[in-house]
Amino acid sequence: MSGTSIEAVIPSAEPAAGVREIEFRDALREAMSEEMRRDARVFLIGEEVAQYHGAYKVSRGMVDEFGERRIIDTPISESGFAGMAIGAAMLGLRPIVEFMSWSFSLVAADPILNNAPKMLYMSGGQFGCPIVFRGNDGAGGQLGSTHSWSVEGLYSNVPGVKIVIPSCPYDAKGLLKTAIRDDDPVFFLESERMLAMKGPVPETEYLIPFGQAVVRRAGRDCTIASWGRPVNFCLEAAEALAKDGIDCEVIDLRTIRPLDLETVVRSVRRTNCCVVVDQSWSFGSPGGELAAQVHAACFDDLDNFVHRVHSADVPTPYASELEQEYLPNVRRICEAVRHATYRA
Amino acid sequence: MPVDVTMPRLSDTMEAGTVVRWHVKEGDEVSSGKVVADIETDKATMEMQVYDDGRIARILVPEGKSVPVGTKIAEIAVQDESAANTSAEPMVPTVLAEPPGAVPPRVAPPGAPGPGPARVAGEAPLSNAESRRKPHEAESLAPQTAAQVGGGMRVSPVARRMAEELSVDLAQVRGSGPAGRIIKRDIEAAAEMRGAQVGGTSHGATTVPTAPGTAPPTPIARVPGAGLASPVVQRAMGASVGQPGIQSVEMALSTMRQTIARRLVESKTTIPHYQVSMTFDMDSIVALRETLNAELVPAGVKLSLNDFIVRACALAMARHPFVNASFADDRILVHQTVNVGVAVALDEEKGGGLLVATIRDADRKSLRQISAETKALSEKARTKGLSIEEMSDSTFTISNLGMFGVEHFTAIINPPNSAILACGAAVQRPVVRNGSLAVGWEMTATLSLDHRVIDGAMAARYLQSLKHLMEHPTLLLV
Repeated sequence: MSGTSIEAVIPSAEPAAGVREIEFRDALREAMSEEMRRDARVFLIGEEVAQYHGAYKVSRGMVDEFGERRIIDTPISESGFAGMAIGAAMLGLRPIVEFMSWSFSLVAADPILNNAPKMLYMSGGQFGCPIVFRGNDGAGGQLGSTHSWSVEGLYSNVPGVKIVIPSCPYDAKGLLKTAIRDDDPVFFLESERMLAMKGPVPETEYLIPFGQAVVRRAGRDCTIASWGRPVNFCLEAAEALAKDGIDCEVIDLRTIRPLDLETVVRSVRRTNCCVVVDQSWSFGSPGGELAAQVHAACFDDLDNFVHRVHSADVPTPYASELEQEYLPNVRRICEAVRHATYRA
Repeated sequence: MPVDVTMPRLSDTMEAGTVVRWHVKEGDEVSSGKVVADIETDKATMEMQVYDDGRIARILVPEGKSVPVGTKIAEIAVQDESAANTSAEPMVPTVLAEPPGAVPPRVAPPGAPGPGPARVAGEAPLSNAESRRKPHEAESLAPQTAAQVGGGMRVSPVARRMAEELSVDLAQVRGSGPAGRIIKRDIEAAAEMRGAQVGGTSHGATTVPTAPGTAPPTPIARVPGAGLASPVVQRAMGASVGQPGIQSVEMALSTMRQTIARRLVESKTTIPHYQVSMTFDMDSIVALRETLNAELVPAGVKLSLNDFIVRACALAMARHPFVNASFADDRILVHQTVNVGVAVALDEEKGGGLLVATIRDADRKSLRQISAETKALSEKARTKGLSIEEMSDSTFTISNLGMFGVEHFTAIINPPNSAILACGAAVQRPVVRNGSLAVGWEMTATLSLDHRVIDGAMAARYLQSLKHLMEHPTLLLV
């Protein structure tokens, strides 16, 4: 895949103390607006992104600044507008495609999985596909089985895609800017449950490179590796476990393709223990892949097999309590860590 | 249905065992957990228990006889069966093997289907509470030695590695994990119990500072017949051995001494060492330390010069990542955390030795934190010994003999580190300051380096950064 041009990189994980706090959705909008000001080839396309300012108000005000030629409302036709945007990307533009929900991207499976990631390869390098697909992923809260997909389980299986799953506003902005400048197709997975989450985001420009995990919490007894929304549950679980004397190190992978195995391995070599938390289903999942890679890289360092916490292997329930129990939650993460550390 | 009792595999290397003594005779009632015999392996004599309730139907191997692992040595008639109904047909050679259709064994032999954790481990996800409960149930079984699990030994990979590094005999360790699996904490406990808290892991090494011009130690002759295995110091009182005219007593090597010997020979013979020294103006740091310590009296904090050195060394890494690196055969590992090892000498009266306590993330800790941690670890090292964890993962080491008045010495690199700093004492000397003679504080420090990772100029530049920090010590406060 072709390279990424990153002019300014802040490799450190955390913003400095004292910076302003904004919502996750605003961090996304800032990333898109900044990149659109910087590069006239960038445009946003999707359902209700312009006149209605986005179904989740992520693109609020963008049509006023950039006009209808660059903020484009579409009919309810994911396969059509995703395919159209891929064509635009092949011919030199840099589209951002908003799926109201990644669950709706399934009807666009052929363009996004069969065309975008393979274009560079199949055209012998003649056509790249610098495109970002973004939208809400995972259970949004009682949306039922069909609208609660964690698509990373399916999509991470495809070579040629980059998959970004941020866990906080700071990462959302820095990673989305990198995604827009990347020359390859990027699947950017947000969470409806995190859009209103506030966090520090500096006003000065920064980008976060792909494939660079960050240690959210240092600890000695067990490595918990996760990405996206569940990272926040892992941190909560780590605090609860600390009260019982189990000191967890929480690693946020931030992107699962590319996957920063190094950071996890370095940690597991120290803790001798690993729990992977992944909100997709377990069978054939990125969490399963990470666990396999940790087993291979850390075989002689492990004191127990890598434990995994996933969504339960059933269609997402509608009932709110069942939904909570179905997802990786603090209680289930704590249980897994206790078993993995032999302190159950 | 009769149950076979077979010669268990009590250690990794055991191929045959000798029945030293039977504690039961034919016809005796036994219950699960009962010790029925003493078995001698290639390493030790151990007790053998049975895992079934019943009566000893037959004893097939007499005392003193050695048989291969897996050989049937006795037979138990369980429950209401009479001994007469037992058969002598050959069985699967595992202690717990039962014929198909029998009551499931309490602990499944490895690979056997059943609810044991081996099966859970083989399944894909522990994605629901149901499957996670299985290991829990297994853990509720009484702890047992690994050997009891059907001939195979259950040891977690890291426990197996640590056992090798610490020379812990797995056969002597009781596994506390599911189904008797030997896990990390069991090895740590075994090593600690043996008083072998040596930095024997590949990460937590020990290092000995060497003084130039030190006379070689007096050759010690070995007393014939005296074993070296015992950690207890043995004295050959009055025995005149070895070189004529020299009387020596033989001291057995403690595990720590063995480790020191092995690792330092390895370091000094495989790492291309060289040394670079620099002298630091210590006026500011001595003054700052005095001021801080005066202010910190109410808090009960007393910073040592070494605490300042630890912090300065750690901070200087930011600009010299290769000093915080390891040579790894075909590549160099530049470590992303700065863990400073501090060499701690143990009391000679208690057998001496030394180990390296690790101050983790030293570049991210304040002087006070570094000071408190160093104090706590040194104290623990001298009293209880350090855990593996507390000696592991150093990325750079400091050895300080300043408190003894030593002004200059060189140290041997503590693998897998690439550098070690040997610090002398801060002393008052006549110095030239601003063109005139004055009395000032100075300290000389000597870096030993691995030339495969760090070249001379790189080492010099690191010392320059260190010198700047040491001579502008307020930088160490921010």
